[in-house]
Amino acid sequence: MAVDESDLPFEHPLYDLMAKMPGLDLATTSVDKLLNWGVRNSLWIFPMATSCCGIEFMAAAASRVDMDRMGTIVRGTPRQSDVMVVAGTITVKMAPRVKRLWDQMPEPKWCVAMGSCAISGDFYRDIYSVIPGIDTVIPVDVYIPGCPPNPEELMGGMLALQEKVALKRAGLRVPPEVRPETAKMIKPRVGRAEDPTREKLIGHHQALQARTLDLTEPADLVEAMTPKAAADGDQEGGA
Amino acid sequence: MTLERPDRADPYLDLDEYEPEADLMVLNFGPQHPSTHGVFRVVMYLDGETIVKAVPYAGYLHRGVEKLCEKLTYAQITPIVDKNDYVAPMFNEQAVNMAFEALTGTEVPIRAQYIRTIVGEIQRVASHLLWLGTFAMDLGGAIGGGTSVFMWCFREREMILDLFEHLTGCRFHYNTHTLGGNRHDIPAGWAEKVHATLGHIAQRVDEYEAILDHPIFKARTEGVGVISAQLALDLGLTGPLLRASGVDHDLRRDAPYNIYDQLDVQVMTDTGGDCAARYRVRVREMRESIRIARALVDNVPPGPICGTKPIKLPVQTRVKDGQVYVALETPRGELGTYVIGGGDNRNASPYRLKIRPPSLHALSALPYVLPGHGVSDAVAILGSLDPIMGEADR
Repeated sequence: MAVDESDLPFEHPLYDLMAKMPGLDLATTSVDKLLNWGVRNSLWIFPMATSCCGIEFMAAAASRVDMDRMGTIVRGTPRQSDVMVVAGTITVKMAPRVKRLWDQMPEPKWCVAMGSCAISGDFYRDIYSVIPGIDTVIPVDVYIPGCPPNPEELMGGMLALQEKVALKRAGLRVPPEVRPETAKMIKPRVGRAEDPTREKLIGHHQALQARTLDLTEPADLVEAMTPKAAADGDQEGGA
Repeated sequence: MTLERPDRADPYLDLDEYEPEADLMVLNFGPQHPSTHGVFRVVMYLDGETIVKAVPYAGYLHRGVEKLCEKLTYAQITPIVDKNDYVAPMFNEQAVNMAFEALTGTEVPIRAQYIRTIVGEIQRVASHLLWLGTFAMDLGGAIGGGTSVFMWCFREREMILDLFEHLTGCRFHYNTHTLGGNRHDIPAGWAEKVHATLGHIAQRVDEYEAILDHPIFKARTEGVGVISAQLALDLGLTGPLLRASGVDHDLRRDAPYNIYDQLDVQVMTDTGGDCAARYRVRVREMRESIRIARALVDNVPPGPICGTKPIKLPVQTRVKDGQVYVALETPRGELGTYVIGGGDNRNASPYRLKIRPPSLHALSALPYVLPGHGVSDAVAILGSLDPIMGEADR
């Protein structure tokens, strides 16, 4: 059973120091704010650019969008960088290299998944050589969807990351990042031709439509394909 | 048939000629390096600063595109192959659709052929602009403060992307070619925009040449990475690499597709085969492409832009058994598409689709060219080959 220490005084040498020096508590919080401001506005990027998104990343760093004005300078080495932007498809052969480069980056560090290949593998996700999303290898802070995202969208993602960094440094609760859902195949109302669950016989409404359209098929074929119960119900309704 | 071995040194076998006691250093270059233009790895064996042997490793971006195409329908393949050569996507979709048209016997209307030619030539300018920017950045801060040429080239490339966004609605992966023609017709006012943009870029190309007429740039490129004409032909190099080595070959003139048989395409060649020759060939090709596109954009004949109805269901395609090979001239060389029709679902998807990427052949020159050069020259040589790894690894 734990000892209740709630009424005991908490003693620490720093408390005495702070009591003797009024204003020291103000100084520590001010330094924290300064650090926060500095980290937020100097996110140096390590581009893990493998494919198409790398070209749009270069366009974002180039003259029109000019991402450098947010302090996001592109560095070619992981040891000087804060943010890894994974831009492009990550294959099975490349994933161990990405993990190694991520491990070489000093803390604190963040990861941005740019483009649908880095998020989920996109249409390559069923291919034998592609990993389904970079978040199966390293943790991701910001997802930027698109194939590829425009440079403006990449800039919006970096602004979102700055906001997240500011919240975290200020000690506030950061909402957890949820990977966007992969697009699911919408099941068609009428089953596809290869679908084994597709009905073999045509439905009641389809039979009715076939009659009204006056198709060239013989009417007995429609009768033969129409379920018995539905056809009976139709006759009763008509009478 | 006897296989004659050429009398040049084999880069994979002749390392034994060096002393085994020599202090060779192994330098791993890539797969993540800003100058490798993607994910590409070269292991270089150095004697001091000189490369003795270079072994390239590819496959870091292998996405199984050819296998993926076997289970997609003909209409679904077009946006997939966009991602192969992501610097010039117009040529990818045009190549694969030309192959399907040859397989199905579909006629392309003359207006669609004009649009394909125009967007191809504009895309060639954009691709060469990106190459020039990254190549000048690879050569480092020697040229006018590092990234100046990179910034300039991207400034002009964005204008071309605006043209394509106006035409197709997409900035990057267009999905505008389809079986039998094009999806998007030329909008009103596009021709004037093309004239304004390309006229502007034609002036800027002079500026690039002026700033790159620089002693340091010449020292870094002239005489570096010489590919002889015989070696280029043996390795199957095409495009600007082959033309820079002095071989006068261009598919637009020698095997015309689209409407190139009605055009007078000037093939730009250069002698020397070094990095400077490749640079000169590409800059001249930019001017030639600008000239072709500006001449064509005013004379587009009226008519339909697609010979078939838009294909939505697989049963609408009638594909016979057969095999075709279609090649066209991309900014990097001959992009071939080899399609075998037939199989179980013959009307839906091809039985086999093989892509012949020019970048893979360009990278095969590295073991022959790199030995004898320094490490800094390796970056210049790799940049001058203009490889796109999405296309090489597929």
